[in-house]
Amino acid sequence: MRTGKLVRWGVPVAAAAVIGAAVAAGPVIAAVGSDPVLPERTASQLLADAAAAAERQSGIQPMSGTVTKTASLGLPALPGADAAGGDSPLALLTGAHEVKVWYGSGERFRLALPGEMSEKNLIVNGGQAWLWDSASNTATRLKIDLGPQAKHTPPTPQPTDMTPQQVAEKVLADAEQHSTVSVTNTDQVAGRAVYQVSLAPKDPSTLVKEIKVALDGETYVPLRVQIYAKDSAEPAFEVGFTQLSFAPPAEENFTFTPPAGVTVKDQTITGAELAKTDRMDDMPALKTVGQGWSTVAVVPFELPSDAQAKQAVDSFLKGATPVSGTWGSGRLIKTKLLTALLTDDGRVLVGAVTPDKLTELAGSR
Amino acid sequence: MSTAEALVLPATRTSVTWRLLRSELALTFRRPRNLVMMAILAAVPIIIGVVIRLVGSEGDAGGMIAQTAGNSLMLTVVSLFVLVPLLMPVAVAVVAGDAIAGEAGTGTLRYLLTAPAGRGRLLAVKYLNAVLFGLALTLTVATAALLTGLVLFPAGDVTLLSGTTISLGEGLLRVLAMVGYVAAGMAALAAVAVALSTFTEVAIGAIAATVVLIIVTQVLRAIPQLDWLAPYLLPTRWTGFDGLLRDPVPMSEIWQSLLAFGAYIVLFCSLAWARFTGKDITS
Amino acid sequence: MTVESPAELTVRAPERAPAAPPAAEDPAGGAAIVTRGLTKRFRGGQVAVDGLDLTVPAGSVFGFLGPNGSGKTTTIRMLLGLVAPTGGTHELLGLPLARALPAVGAVVEGPAFYPYLSGSANLLRFDAANPAASGRDAARRVGRALERVGLSAAAGKRYRAYSLGMRQRLAIAAALLTPRRLLVLDEPTNGLDPQGTREVRALVKEIAGDGTTVFVSSHLLAEVEQMCTHAGIMSHGRLVAHGTLTELHAGRSARLRVETPDLAHAAGILASLGLADVRAAGEEVTAELGEHAPDRVNAELVRQGVAVRGLAVARPSLEEVFVGLTGEGFDVDG
Repeated sequence: MRTGKLVRWGVPVAAAAVIGAAVAAGPVIAAVGSDPVLPERTASQLLADAAAAAERQSGIQPMSGTVTKTASLGLPALPGADAAGGDSPLALLTGAHEVKVWYGSGERFRLALPGEMSEKNLIVNGGQAWLWDSASNTATRLKIDLGPQAKHTPPTPQPTDMTPQQVAEKVLADAEQHSTVSVTNTDQVAGRAVYQVSLAPKDPSTLVKEIKVALDGETYVPLRVQIYAKDSAEPAFEVGFTQLSFAPPAEENFTFTPPAGVTVKDQTITGAELAKTDRMDDMPALKTVGQGWSTVAVVPFELPSDAQAKQAVDSFLKGATPVSGTWGSGRLIKTKLLTALLTDDGRVLVGAVTPDKLTELAGSR
Repeated sequence: MSTAEALVLPATRTSVTWRLLRSELALTFRRPRNLVMMAILAAVPIIIGVVIRLVGSEGDAGGMIAQTAGNSLMLTVVSLFVLVPLLMPVAVAVVAGDAIAGEAGTGTLRYLLTAPAGRGRLLAVKYLNAVLFGLALTLTVATAALLTGLVLFPAGDVTLLSGTTISLGEGLLRVLAMVGYVAAGMAALAAVAVALSTFTEVAIGAIAATVVLIIVTQVLRAIPQLDWLAPYLLPTRWTGFDGLLRDPVPMSEIWQSLLAFGAYIVLFCSLAWARFTGKDITS
Repeated sequence: MTVESPAELTVRAPERAPAAPPAAEDPAGGAAIVTRGLTKRFRGGQVAVDGLDLTVPAGSVFGFLGPNGSGKTTTIRMLLGLVAPTGGTHELLGLPLARALPAVGAVVEGPAFYPYLSGSANLLRFDAANPAASGRDAARRVGRALERVGLSAAAGKRYRAYSLGMRQRLAIAAALLTPRRLLVLDEPTNGLDPQGTREVRALVKEIAGDGTTVFVSSHLLAEVEQMCTHAGIMSHGRLVAHGTLTELHAGRSARLRVETPDLAHAAGILASLGLADVRAAGEEVTAELGEHAPDRVNAELVRQGVAVRGLAVARPSLEEVFVGLTGEGFDVDG
């Protein structure tokens, strides 16, 4: 009378299998389907191509997409990270974050940071820029007085006195001093075939296993950066496009008219100010010890006097391991990718190195 | 047989199902408990509207409140945003969790099946009924919010989250799309609740299990370490209707959410079917 | 389930129709219910029904007899497709179950309705679940069914306010919504007062009079004896006997009971007439009647001058049949 037991339960099992396959293997199937699209390239050929492409097209070409950043640094839950809201600097250290970008031709772009029932927007159209925050219902007119150095340039070196091939060889020679460089041509990012350049440190004392940079197979635009920690199959840090289109975005994206009834503010940012924040001139006496992948930053440190901040630091340091050695004593925090040492004599050492290496470097002042 | 002549011509398969569905809907929308739930949920936008009217005009209010006070349409969005994470799902869970377990509990299930309603057809009708209840609930909330908004606040152009301004007509269209989106999300939940309903003869058990699932997924969603899991959880998707307030509307994300709802529906409806068609009815 | 030969059936319905009670004679040789080796073993390993071979002839009023817990209800649930058998086959009206059910009315384990709906709204609800019933004249059907069980006056009253007898009658009304060829009634008089019980029995007789096969389960022997033409006796999940009531009685012959002060004289005459097992006790003499005609025996007694105060023929009760078959007493209280 009734359908057999096996047949009946086979239906939901099959449904689950199909859904599971679609969720897990969707990108894999897409990647397999378009496997041999890109011709093979060595690292130096690829860098030369990229440099040549960068010379051909000045600036970033029109495109739009979604950039997602995922960090799983293995940090303990940061105090205040939740309370501070999705876009606070603390919250950026953990979890996934999404930014939508639109690049138009010329000096025009839009960045949108979507939140739940809110959105922050930065719209730059030549010298005019707007910052829109729906949560506070505020539109800020930014006057950007751009210096010549602040132009948008792709992150590839462009010294005009060298051919792309020479540039590539020089960059590669520098990189290969400390790392093993390899190139694969089988990956996909946001549905586009990419070359994946991998840098694996030769130095055994760093926590970094590998850094992968994906370059678009057609335009050589970097589409993704992944940092892998040792003993971990998943990247500890990743930023890249999850969705991408090289079709020029609609013009409406780059115009902004403050809606009726919102607060409109004015603010001017000069090129000099931008440059200053870029260079972090105001950072107190930053110096480094060690070299290559084992470079460690040393910063003088003083516990904050503000009670609330002190409490936050204290609760954060609760999980820290006390360590000591010939260099003195201190407290150590280790994450998948970074190790930090707060010495009792008021220094903070931070580097992508093992705790042993860090305490060793703590001795070299 | 003398009585056979009195038998009416049997109707077609669709009209038979439609008749059972009408009977089911009449039962759902005549049941006092369900009407009370709808009334309570419809009262929420009115309360929010009145509170914002009283408080929101005092200058320094935040974005959503100021926008609601500034435009009648925004009350609908705010109301959905308040009700979608928990209250509306609970109401849908009550109706959908009751679907099979409730009939089993009162013993009417054995009479429906010997009538014979047919197990597959009864399950389909029960699920459709829960889906339509979710839609009716969303429409009721949206309508109550729209009317309250029109009475309390000025009508006019609508400011989107992205800072773009659209006309009232387009705003209404977007609200309608939101209603559709939320109803689809509730349909996915209804599939889960109906599936749970086939595993028990105690309606309150199926309802409570569904509500606990909603709360647990809401908690899981709030844990940053489980961010990778969030896109697969229904509550994450439910509030995705705010995408319809952006410019441009992130269509790929909305389609993804609708696909996720579809996946839930397919998986849990097939589970419910497998369980219900093979179940011994001993109640 | 096996289908003997559905192709021979004449169904007065469009092809798409899920099922209509076929007006033609069913091909299963006139049997309304046939089971072969029907078995239900529950998950715990307990065997509720064990290899049931049952044939219920069309047009009969079949009493399904057995103490509580003997597997009657599980059998009925299997017949109606509520519980899946773990072994054996069964068919109703010679049709696959889904096609037979519209022609089968059932009351299973007491009435169950929506308490917040009225009697007629409840019937409309179950009528809507029957694919063989059209929505157009549902109201007329409901009205007729209510009238038939005498609930017309209470049609608009909420089910919650119904008395136990009214509830039972409403359940029977639901089973009579469309013309049925088979009515399955599980303990239809359970919990009813004597008046209600009489009403239900009268109703069953009336339904049977229309030619509908009635399959009625009961733990009340007297009830079955009063209502039924056929009976089957269940004990511990097995069918220990079934047939017409006469057949069931046949194993035990009727006894003649003569009330008289002349004990020895009467006993002598009965023995001389050839009646077996003659016993005398108190003021009566009893003997197995056998093939003898009671009137002839009486005439002979009177002719020989025995003062006959009373004379009766006692048929053996089903209870005696049951005790004889199982060696167990019958739990009459239930």
